[in-house]
Amino acid sequence: MKVFSADRLERLLDTVLKPSRYTGGEMNAVIKPFDQADVTFAFCFPDSYEVGMSHLGIKILYDIINRQPWALCERAFMPWPDMADAMRKEDLPLFSIESRTPLDRFDIVGFTLQYEMSYTNVLEMLDLAGIPLYSRDRQNGPIIMAGGPCAYNPEPLAPFVDVFQIGDGEEMMVEAIACVRKCKQEGLSRLDTLRALAKIEGIYVPAFYQASYNNDGTLAAFAPIDDAAPAVVRKRIVRDLDSAAYPEAFVVPYTEAIHDRIVLEIMRGCTKGCRFCQAGMLYRPVRERSLETLLSQAEKLENATGYEEMSLSSLSSGDYTHLTELVCALTERYAERKISVSLPSMRIDSFVKQSLEEAQKVRKSGLTLAPEAGTQRMRDVINKGVTEEDLIRAVTDAFESGWSTVKLYFMIGLPTETDEDLQGIGNLARDVINAYFTVPRSQRAKGLRVTCSASTFVPKPFTPFQWQGQDELPQIREKQARLGDILHQVKGVNFNWHEPELSMLEACFARGDRRMADVLYAAWKNGCRMDGWTEFLNYEGWMKAFQDCHVDPAFYANRVRGEKELLPWDFIDAGVTKAFLWREWQKALRAEVTPDCRKGCQGCGLKRFEGVCVDR
Amino acid sequence: MKMLVVFEKKERLRHVSHLDLMRAMQRALRRSGVPIAFSQGFNPHLLVTFAAPLSVGMPGLREVMEVPLSAEISEEEFKEKLRAALPPELPCVAVRAVEDRHPAPMAQLFAAGYQITVQEHVEEILAAIPSLLAKENVMALKKTKSGEKLTDIRPMIYEIKRLDESRFECVLALCEAATCKVELLMDALAAEAGLEARPRYLAVRTQLLGKDFIPLELL
Ligand code: SF4
Repeated sequence: MKVFSADRLERLLDTVLKPSRYTGGEMNAVIKPFDQADVTFAFCFPDSYEVGMSHLGIKILYDIINRQPWALCERAFMPWPDMADAMRKEDLPLFSIESRTPLDRFDIVGFTLQYEMSYTNVLEMLDLAGIPLYSRDRQNGPIIMAGGPCAYNPEPLAPFVDVFQIGDGEEMMVEAIACVRKCKQEGLSRLDTLRALAKIEGIYVPAFYQASYNNDGTLAAFAPIDDAAPAVVRKRIVRDLDSAAYPEAFVVPYTEAIHDRIVLEIMRGCTKGCRFCQAGMLYRPVRERSLETLLSQAEKLENATGYEEMSLSSLSSGDYTHLTELVCALTERYAERKISVSLPSMRIDSFVKQSLEEAQKVRKSGLTLAPEAGTQRMRDVINKGVTEEDLIRAVTDAFESGWSTVKLYFMIGLPTETDEDLQGIGNLARDVINAYFTVPRSQRAKGLRVTCSASTFVPKPFTPFQWQGQDELPQIREKQARLGDILHQVKGVNFNWHEPELSMLEACFARGDRRMADVLYAAWKNGCRMDGWTEFLNYEGWMKAFQDCHVDPAFYANRVRGEKELLPWDFIDAGVTKAFLWREWQKALRAEVTPDCRKGCQGCGLKRFEGVCVDR
Repeated sequence: MKMLVVFEKKERLRHVSHLDLMRAMQRALRRSGVPIAFSQGFNPHLLVTFAAPLSVGMPGLREVMEVPLSAEISEEEFKEKLRAALPPELPCVAVRAVEDRHPAPMAQLFAAGYQITVQEHVEEILAAIPSLLAKENVMALKKTKSGEKLTDIRPMIYEIKRLDESRFECVLALCEAATCKVELLMDALAAEAGLEARPRYLAVRTQLLGKDFIPLELL
């Protein structure tokens, strides 16, 4: 039995790296008496403190739960491996930051799943907390919940998680914790509590479903085995984002988080329809926050945090209706207080020169653009509605306004890719450099820096590419080398790429089924954790896990799937229909584009949700 | 006008580094709404200076920082505003308004008081105090920029006073000319007690002192 002791913890803290990751005491951390709350929720981010504290979702839900006078939410993060090992050696259970309560004393332990390669950390955190990993081994103790974008294919985690929340969490979370509170008050059993939860829209309780498989390994059937469980789990949508709860204060960490600043979520959803982009499909439809709401949120957050930087967040900030007004108003208000305003995830087709100039008044950060592919044909395949002309105009504008650092993001291994598409990346990089030199010397900033970053395409559920196979490792390596050669010939470009092994594992989990859970467990047993950190990725541990479980990674990562195949996530209604996605997949193969649905509905399926998709 | 601010860094925050603490204080000052002065230049920042960085792992009861102001404000109002903007683990203890030409606390620093709880070999360490104080020289290996140097730390130990069964207080030199860190004193006590290694202990910096051992914020 693991027993918590503050004294032993203090002792450990003197011996580990960056102990202030574990000690809390931050401004705006919510401190409530633990024993007086009807429901206690440990919000777990399965990665380091610095990564977790940068994440917006945790801020929103932490605030929402703590707003309920009867509920309490505290945070927990994945301890850095040195701390994890020390805790295990000392038998010290994983504890929450605020009250240092061991996680197994909470009513609910909830994980946010932002990327597949954090799954081993979910197991590691449960184990560090002394909580049995498999749902079937937990007769009492906390209910394990999970949400976030990866919950849209929950199957690889199905045996470990009791309850998944699918979709926007703002309303569903309150319903879920209220349900647990009621069940507790009525003294219901664990099973009946799960049944009550399964009736909430958006909630999936994997134990209430059964999967069977064909001889070729594909899914034969998937259906509920408990009356409380719906056959189709429908994602939750917050219809009115403007009135949805948003924190008035962020917890301000001492040790610097990756993104340590005020974040304003200006809108949710994206209608561009890029075919590789899971977020673009999952977060439909587009909902905007009003200018007034955002300005008032900015003011409250600034007064509560004292941050020196503010960033606007959305999938496609350039499409926000009042972008120029918002950026002008923010810069005007905060210039005197020396607060900079930044616009990440700017898409080149929505580039607004004016807002660029506004943003730059306070600080000039590097410009990030994501053309994703090198040729027009390839961009048509992925439905990235951007032309080379757009891109060159955008960078020229930026160079004229004094920018000199440009990062270009590309993907390799996209469907139908040929050598010409790789060549295209080199051509584009060269054109960007030429654009810099066309700007008169007196007008441009010194020190041009162009970086090309190539990630490996990972097919994701609920995208038109969900049927496509990923390139095999040797192919990816070959393409990376080839692209390296091409870019080597372009003077002044830095090239970097991602580990292809990591992308392969990501692909296995992204489209995995329940059998991937065995591999996950075996890999964790082999010591895999913190897989997203290059220094900790233990590829041999993973390969051994696949072998021991008799699972072929190619079945999940590289196999092309057919129209009729039952996909492991088909029981989830994510808004976009399978028919729409297939249509888009066929159009992709013909390199046919689909325009932004703001200009006309493309029939993706969201209209089936009442009142969410309004024609403009 | 400048404000001298006395604050406490509680035990929970003892691992927060000096750099992180400075950033936290700057943000607290920003959200407090007191009229703070910014530096000129491309990347403007607050002009806050600390009397002496605390080593990582050590809490402080009466730490001192100096905050240059861009407008007049009363001590009461400043204290109230800053108090509201600080987390419970980092409270403001006192403030004092001074003229712009008042010397910087850092320049007036002379020594610091510590309270030390010995957590291992308690008896031996406490018993070694009188004999250590009776010595004329106490040689210790001091880390310097160019390596380690054998230094006599006896003149830098101004006082050691036993408090109870496990704790003692001491006053050690802390200024540009001479600084004796708590580790060095603990090494010397361990050697005096015939121990092989420095025992576990928790040190709290209780006060920063100027000339004649007057608390820095009162000078
Ligand atoms: S239903 Fe039509 S308008 Fe709404 S997101 Fe889908 S395609 Fe766009």
